[in-house]
Amino acid sequence: MGAPLETPGLTLTQAHVSLFDGLVGATARDADRVPDLLPLCVSSGLGWRVPQPPLAVLAFMGFEWRFHLPLRVGDTIRSRSRTAAKRSMKEGGVIFEERDILNQRGEVVQSGRLTLLVAKRAAA
Amino acid sequence: MNEPRAFDDIKIGEEFVSPGRTVTETDIVVFAGLSGDYNILHTDAEHMKTSQFGERIAHGLLGLAIQQGLAGRVAAELAELPFAALAWKFRAPIKIGDTIHVVSRVTEKRDGERPGWGIVTLERRVLNQRGEVVQEGETEHLIERRRG
Repeated sequence: MGAPLETPGLTLTQAHVSLFDGLVGATARDADRVPDLLPLCVSSGLGWRVPQPPLAVLAFMGFEWRFHLPLRVGDTIRSRSRTAAKRSMKEGGVIFEERDILNQRGEVVQSGRLTLLVAKRAAA
Repeated sequence: MNEPRAFDDIKIGEEFVSPGRTVTETDIVVFAGLSGDYNILHTDAEHMKTSQFGERIAHGLLGLAIQQGLAGRVAAELAELPFAALAWKFRAPIKIGDTIHVVSRVTEKRDGERPGWGIVTLERRVLNQRGEVVQEGETEHLIERRRG
């Protein structure tokens, strides 16, 4: 269902890590290791930087996710996603999106499947 | 401080209740800036007045990130373990001013794919000030079998 959509890249810097740690409450790690949950958080924003308008998401219902490789400060990630399935509901449509996060070498560092409730048609 | 624990030291059924944290407008604004996710659900107060929620709501992933920080305040040795997998449900919105905490419980231990490493599974529930579950799920983490 639809071709994969690939976002521009984002280099993860010490600033991203410090902001994230400050916001959520840091846990101890190797100094240059990127928090495991940070790439997923920025991948949602990366999805807004493709030519195609973003989905009219009404609610993020859930997701399943796997962590394959650690990321270090200085790594550049991009996100690749495709709609795997969609289901029509009363209040909107449910979209199952498969998403991979890739590093600068094209390795999949994290991947999973997101369940999103999306408006049936764009708001007026 | 907290000594890291090995696989063999962790017991099934261990439960950790975190302190609470009030989610503020600032948290949402900072998270929008950091993540680049400016969805109107989180950023347009006027639009959200007319929505089913009546106001802006926190990003689901902000709630996930905050509970991770909270979990680290009661069970640092578990919260600091690398993630292997995550299955998560967003049950109800987190609104500005809501106070959330997380209850984590060890539900499973098993061998990992890498020799010398195991996988520990935590079941986590994020509750608001009314005791309603706003998010819940399971996280799997890599852990050394034994610290030598």
